[in-house]
Amino acid sequence: MVFAIQRQGITKWLEKLLEAGEVIAPVRGPYGDVAFSTIRSPAQVVWDFENPLHPPKQFVLPQTDPLVTIKRNGQHHEVEPIYDDARRILFNVRSCDVKGIVFLTRMHEMEPADASYLRRLSSLTVISLTCNNPCPLGFCVCTDSGPFLSGGYDIQLTDLGENYLVEVGSEKGEAAVSEVPDLFRKATEEEVSQRKRLEVAARNHFGQETCHFASAMRRISTGRVQDALWDKMSDWCLECGGCNLICPTCYCFNVKDLGRDGTWIRCRMWDSCQYAAFTLEASGHNPRAHRKERMKRRFFHKASAQYYMRDNMVGCVGCGRCIKVCLGTTHMPAVVGAIRKGKWHE
Amino acid sequence: MFTVPTTCPFCACGCGFYLLANKGELVGVAPSETHPVSRGRLCARGWGAHEAALWGDRLRQPLVNRNGKLESVSWVETLDHVAGRIKELIEAGKSVGVLGSARATNEENYLAGKLARAGLQTNNLDFSYHSICGPLFTGLEEVCGEYTPSISLNDIESSQTILLIEGDLAKTHPRAASSVMKAVDKGARLITVGYIRTQMACLSSLHLPTAPGNEGEVIDGLLAAVLHLGLEDRKSVAVHCEGYDALRRDVAAVKMSEEIHQAADWIGRAERATFLMAPTSGQGDQPRRDAAALATLAAITGHLDRPGCGLLPLLARSNVRGACDMGVAADRLPGCRPLDDERSRQRLQDLWGKKLPLAPGRDAESLLQSVSGLIVLADDPPSVLPMGQRAMAALEKIEFLVVLDAFATPTTRIAHTVLPIASFAETEGTLTSMEGRVQRLRVTTDPPGEARTGWQVLAELCARFDVGGSYSSATDVLREIVQAVPRYAEMEQGRLADGWGGTLVEGSDRGKFVLHATGVAALTSAERPHVLARDGAFDWGRDPLVSFSPTLSRDYQSQRKLFPNGFVEMCRQDADGLGVHAGWKVRLTSVQGDAIVPIRVRTDLKSGVLLVPYAFRDHVANVLGTHSVTAVKVEQA
Repeated sequence: MVFAIQRQGITKWLEKLLEAGEVIAPVRGPYGDVAFSTIRSPAQVVWDFENPLHPPKQFVLPQTDPLVTIKRNGQHHEVEPIYDDARRILFNVRSCDVKGIVFLTRMHEMEPADASYLRRLSSLTVISLTCNNPCPLGFCVCTDSGPFLSGGYDIQLTDLGENYLVEVGSEKGEAAVSEVPDLFRKATEEEVSQRKRLEVAARNHFGQETCHFASAMRRISTGRVQDALWDKMSDWCLECGGCNLICPTCYCFNVKDLGRDGTWIRCRMWDSCQYAAFTLEASGHNPRAHRKERMKRRFFHKASAQYYMRDNMVGCVGCGRCIKVCLGTTHMPAVVGAIRKGKWHE
Repeated sequence: MFTVPTTCPFCACGCGFYLLANKGELVGVAPSETHPVSRGRLCARGWGAHEAALWGDRLRQPLVNRNGKLESVSWVETLDHVAGRIKELIEAGKSVGVLGSARATNEENYLAGKLARAGLQTNNLDFSYHSICGPLFTGLEEVCGEYTPSISLNDIESSQTILLIEGDLAKTHPRAASSVMKAVDKGARLITVGYIRTQMACLSSLHLPTAPGNEGEVIDGLLAAVLHLGLEDRKSVAVHCEGYDALRRDVAAVKMSEEIHQAADWIGRAERATFLMAPTSGQGDQPRRDAAALATLAAITGHLDRPGCGLLPLLARSNVRGACDMGVAADRLPGCRPLDDERSRQRLQDLWGKKLPLAPGRDAESLLQSVSGLIVLADDPPSVLPMGQRAMAALEKIEFLVVLDAFATPTTRIAHTVLPIASFAETEGTLTSMEGRVQRLRVTTDPPGEARTGWQVLAELCARFDVGGSYSSATDVLREIVQAVPRYAEMEQGRLADGWGGTLVEGSDRGKFVLHATGVAALTSAERPHVLARDGAFDWGRDPLVSFSPTLSRDYQSQRKLFPNGFVEMCRQDADGLGVHAGWKVRLTSVQGDAIVPIRVRTDLKSGVLLVPYAFRDHVANVLGTHSVTAVKVEQA
């Protein structure tokens, strides 16, 4: 279903959504950073913003994620799962991040399914905002994850000027619209075609830039990236792990128990495959002891045919966050470009 | 989700980020694009900053040793007990002292200094890391007078030439390494000086290999080459420098290689050059002289008085600079002033209402070995001091040991009284980065149990020694710091405006640069042809901020787990020469003594050099003695 809502109507809609649950939207903080935060009033939501550096994946996969409580009971331990069923509405999420959540969900649905993740997701409604003016560092056209989406969202909003086009993509989306049905009307044909024109214009923002993933994928999947190139590239990585932590599609984790007065809470924490001891085994053997092997692994997982076949997409949504967060210079576009050309910094 | 902008507690780069909390517990870290230093980037340590405060073995109750057991007691009783015992010792004519910390805030360090000088009437005041960074500071001061760096990390990115006296910058200061990388990416020439072919050396245009303790030879060579090629900035030398003729004479006989000529050419001709220096090793006052010579090189090429270039000492821990500024040193008053500086003494005496002691105090190592009563602020001396486990033996002999810390450490375990304080995530205060940026820590969560903020506890102790102030917040302490440390005076205005970044502390008007070459004495001999060096890189693995963090500790602690007998590292060529393989043992013999240790082979180390990680320094304590580098004979054991 495709609806339209007047610009002023959004405030009323948000007020209603605030009654239904926790609304999380991009908010400009006192220091100028835009971040996804819980809002208390619709006025806090920003509409003209570059995608926040800290991705909304934290609301499906928190950096510290309590999974089970472990209690000692005589000779036994009682284990109780912890579920987070809080109703959340993610508002004004960008297309790339919606695609990121789709990617994470596909992975967590695989057997054995991850109940903790799926329960949290089931009470989350994702309302996205298309990118009429794509962000300068993004390359979502290369990864088929924007600037407009054809699915994956619960609701997709497009700014048409006076009105917003409201595309409903799921039952959760329908429920969010039906909170205040009076605010929404059926979209006109003109409005639907305006959205299409905006999408074409947004795609044209990327100019003649074509997708480099295909040729990089061929080289990675057939082992045609020379070791010397990985060697050279890995000298430019400072192993901060930032690329993994802010990546909307990265989900690697570490597990550690947090002791609290005789009980333990088993937590899953974000981790990075770029850290030296990530694959360190108890024997002391580390299959990826060298930086270049870790880097190779990261790009193999992100952009090899093997994973593409399984996931139906590369492990990248083109958000461009790794460009900003990289302490070195080995972000996704730089490495993919170098693999394609077979050259680094030359 | 609760989001609090705060300052990174690890190295002295001075990054900032948001700490995230949920239901009163820390849950994560979010980067900030608007922070002037971080600009969206963090290193692995920054990304894991929330973990130690959450997972760490936290101290929750004040503990007093009674009948050999630590018992939990009320705050008032504990503080009275501490004051009472220390007063008893003083009255009995025994010496007492205070150790500040490079992990504590300016406010905590300032109050620790006030407690020692005005309260306990002693200059027995120092901090553990001072013995490592102190020579670097003194050397720079010798040339520049009151030293403040004239360059920020962001300036590095527009440098044309960067001279890096290593450490292993990529590991020790990833944020600084990031700036160097971005400069090299833009075409800057990087010159690295060191005995390891580090990651940064791999990116360099020129790597000048040197032996540990021999860095000065390269610096002297560069000085000689600059003068030989006539690349000194004449105007700058004439206006800003003194000792030029003596310098010319001192380096007249220094040999120069082609590489040194090339490096001197790049440095001399650069409009903007950066000089980065980690504390070097060497016997006696060699590290101080190396630092002075590097500052001299920067001065004569005009890079100390031009904007956008200069020299930046690489300090390992978050508040090394702040602890020095707060005068946490046996021979320095707040503001880094000498002990006998009349103006500073007068100012402090007026401010504190007490006469200050004149007799010089002892530095951290000798302080541990000589005092009967010691108050330790947020530090574990055996982990940090070069003397290693000998520090533990010294601590065990102390009659009354008081430790203020957020985390349980080996030192808190043997303390007679433990005062639990807030961690960086639970307290207000400021940290001063290596570029002189004074930035705030903000409260994200409550301290665990009965723990209180460090400044509160120290203020209470001060009050019990009759040097109280009326502080109702850390900001009140900072207001007093502004009066005690003139350099921080200009900062107050900026600080009140709030926001990221704090304020850069500027240097006051300085005199002329006094030029010095270093001069290096040969260490090795035919009998002892190898050099054993203690790796100067700070041992984060023993720092509670790392060792209690599930993610960070993996990288740092695994080595210790895997090598319970420690190791020394040598290059493949040397190992082959000796006929030994990784894990085999060698006997090291120096003038000081000998030791048998396993070796580890690495490919990036210079031949003739044996390197012992800081974490394993105790295994070769007999061989090194009190030195950081020494000549050794190596045999298969």
